[in-house]
Amino acid sequence: MKKKLLVVEDEQNLCLLYKEELTKEGYRVAVAMNADAALKLIKKQKFDLIVTDIRMPVKNGIELITQIMALRKDIPIIINTAYQSYKHDFMTWAADAYIVKSSSLDELKSKIRELVG
Amino acid sequence: MSELRKDIISGRWVILAAERSKRPDDFRPAQPGKKEAETGFCPFCEGNESKTPPEVFSLRRKGTRKDKPGWWVRVVPNKFPALNRGTPPARHDEGIFQWMDGVGVHEVIIESPAHDKELSDLPLYHLEYVLETYKNRVISIEKEFQYKYVHAFKNKGRDAGASLSHSHSQIVATPIIPKGVNEELYSCERLHRRFEECIFCRIIRDETRIGDRLVLRNDDFCVVTPFAPRFPFEMRIYPVRHSSWFTTLNKKEIEALGKTLKTVLGKLKDILSDPPFNYFIHQAPNPNFPHEAWANLEKSYHWHIEIIPVLTRVAGFEWGTGFYINPVPPETAAAFLRG
Repeated sequence: MKKKLLVVEDEQNLCLLYKEELTKEGYRVAVAMNADAALKLIKKQKFDLIVTDIRMPVKNGIELITQIMALRKDIPIIINTAYQSYKHDFMTWAADAYIVKSSSLDELKSKIRELVG
Repeated sequence: MSELRKDIISGRWVILAAERSKRPDDFRPAQPGKKEAETGFCPFCEGNESKTPPEVFSLRRKGTRKDKPGWWVRVVPNKFPALNRGTPPARHDEGIFQWMDGVGVHEVIIESPAHDKELSDLPLYHLEYVLETYKNRVISIEKEFQYKYVHAFKNKGRDAGASLSHSHSQIVATPIIPKGVNEELYSCERLHRRFEECIFCRIIRDETRIGDRLVLRNDDFCVVTPFAPRFPFEMRIYPVRHSSWFTTLNKKEIEALGKTLKTVLGKLKDILSDPPFNYFIHQAPNPNFPHEAWANLEKSYHWHIEIIPVLTRVAGFEWGTGFYINPVPPETAAAFLRG
């Protein structure tokens, strides 16, 4: 049974890239381009892992993570952001990993494998 | 791996989180997120232990298990630290530039299982638990001699740098002695030679006699607003018994420090309407590391706590000159704080 991932990312090109690359890795991948769309999907479907950006319009990734915690505390979450500075925010501890975005997806793929297989 | 880099002119070391993908707007102030109270989740709350790294120390009820509820004070490594544990880092040189690998320890002390209890709200016995925890962790980290300086501090409130309102402190150990501490150590050595006694012991005696800047005094501790404070309502807590290390506190002194800290933080809260603040413990460098540079360290240096309410902003003048403009004389601040 393929593991099901949700990628929350507000840049369309990156959504396409993550979907394509992670599908190749053998995952089923859903994407949401903002936090509210992600929450709707999480309420309807069961995901094995969530990858989320932080800086997004309207509601940021940290707010999204805290709202996910109210729904399901056990779901692994990876923060995938271009920004180092959020590491200082202890609310990021709700996530299981913090990755600084790079042109290579190796670290992201390896962390996903580590968390869900 | 992060790096420690030395500025050749000031002698100041900085920690550089040397990871990829910096963008200029990384440094734009982050949009304030909704407070954790509004979203109902906090990784420090009892019941959320699985969201933190495994604890390295806790004071907990008998019969309760590690990383499970039942604790009063809990210490965990920082989940996403600026410095990582490692072997003693080599110092590299490239021409005039010096740097070393970013080796260090970064731990978080969660002071209470309850989200809405501030340090000054905790019962006295619980405050003593927090202080015993500081002592335990500093001693434990100092066993690793590569960490020359172990710094315990607390940020309270967003403007003081705290990202969560759940009461917590932090400990950061570094393989170098921070510049500010170094300067204080040298100055104390010089003043010890000049006055033939510890300068802090002299300050305690003089401030007690003068009384204008004295906030409180008991058998074990003396709290003053310093003669030349950088910030309004800045305070120092000095132990009356001379010692260079916080870790030498005995049980009676921990009880007295708990009472003193509770009183002082309670005063800040009442008089200044619960301001953000920082406090930190200044003590001598790791005693397990040879400190030949300060021949009289044990006699000349006196550990203490500095408390800085965040009421003003450090701006261009202060950054550029090192002068601080403080609108509240320490005598006035002390009078308010004495009540």
